[in-house]
Amino acid sequence: MIVRNSLQDADLPQDDPRVKQLNVKMKKEGYKPDALIEILHNAQNSYGYLPINVLRYIAKVLRLPPSRVFGTVSFYHFFSMKSKGEHTCLVCTGTACYVKGAQKLLDKVEEKFGLKQGQVTQDGKIGLQAARCIGACGLAPAVILDDEVQAKVSPEDLISKLTSKLETHEQG
Amino acid sequence: MMALVTIYIDGKKIIAGSEKTILEVARENNIEILTMCHLKGLTDVGACRLCMVELEGSPKLFSACTTKVADNMIVTTNSERIRRYQRITTELFFAERNHICAVCVSNGACELQDLGYKVGLDAIRYPHLFPQCEVDTSHPLYVMDQNRCISCSRCIRACAEVEGAYNWDMMNRGYQIRVISDFNTLWGESTTCTSCGKCVQACPTGALWAKSIVQGQQDKHPEFITDLMERRKMNL
Repeated sequence: MIVRNSLQDADLPQDDPRVKQLNVKMKKEGYKPDALIEILHNAQNSYGYLPINVLRYIAKVLRLPPSRVFGTVSFYHFFSMKSKGEHTCLVCTGTACYVKGAQKLLDKVEEKFGLKQGQVTQDGKIGLQAARCIGACGLAPAVILDDEVQAKVSPEDLISKLTSKLETHEQG
Repeated sequence: MMALVTIYIDGKKIIAGSEKTILEVARENNIEILTMCHLKGLTDVGACRLCMVELEGSPKLFSACTTKVADNMIVTTNSERIRRYQRITTELFFAERNHICAVCVSNGACELQDLGYKVGLDAIRYPHLFPQCEVDTSHPLYVMDQNRCISCSRCIRACAEVEGAYNWDMMNRGYQIRVISDFNTLWGESTTCTSCGKCVQACPTGALWAKSIVQGQQDKHPEFITDLMERRKMNL
């Protein structure tokens, strides 16, 4: 029995700030199919890469054939569909977060794990990315650890959270 | 009222409608131009570069399928240079994937094989790429064999323009280009494919074939697509 995942079922958690940002972008472009590339740029900026469920969601909302979306993503070297690490640490470097010390967060992670933004640890456990505003300025400085938004993060907080991610990983 | 123009193809004077392409006019007048990606009824994309012709006054070559005729155009379709390029293009088709006629369903009924005979292909002067290619047998009725695909995109256009399903597209670029179904998912798991089989009819090689066919028994009808589009135009 072959399972067909209909595009109609494609959905994303609507309370995720990255989804909100994506929705705003698509609305701003008038849901025009020819704005696909701009919308993909936007999605990759906030996710760090283009997960398949995001592509499904974009295809559904823009009413584009899945193969057209996939073809576009695979054509341009800029777009990546690979996750950048098993645990992703996305530090927001938008204006508000920057003022509230996003750079200190990035520096601390580099000091502790030897990671610069855009890199993944050698064991592939943690990937560090920076994104322009993730739309959570009230929570500055904000970090998205895996799929959870962390509000008002201090450098020490971030390191302990990342360390506990690694520990739960080892136990699991 | 459509404008008429006078053009000369290989020295033959022809009066033709100005909205037509060089290829259309040539075929109507029984002048042979080799093609692979052209299928009457589908939008021409100029992908295969086999229909290149010389136009007097320009050092460039033009693809006959995407170039409209113009008044006093002087077209050459069979110069030594054009025959040389046709031969190179054909050799590159064969060098790019794993075309083994002896084990192919389309052996004896293949447009690529016919093309090889037409250009007098006796050897391939380029190193074969021998890529590792997928064979997708997940669809209940049909098979997609990337080894035999020449990336002409006829299946993609037949699916998008005739059936309106848009199951197919291309992924990647250059020599890594591959025809894909949906999100590069298995054809059998496609959410868009209607299993109509138009892509199979449109495919010029043995890349797309029906499972009920055995080796060398392929019987394709690309003209099926052409007839369908002609009938649609008549608004019956």
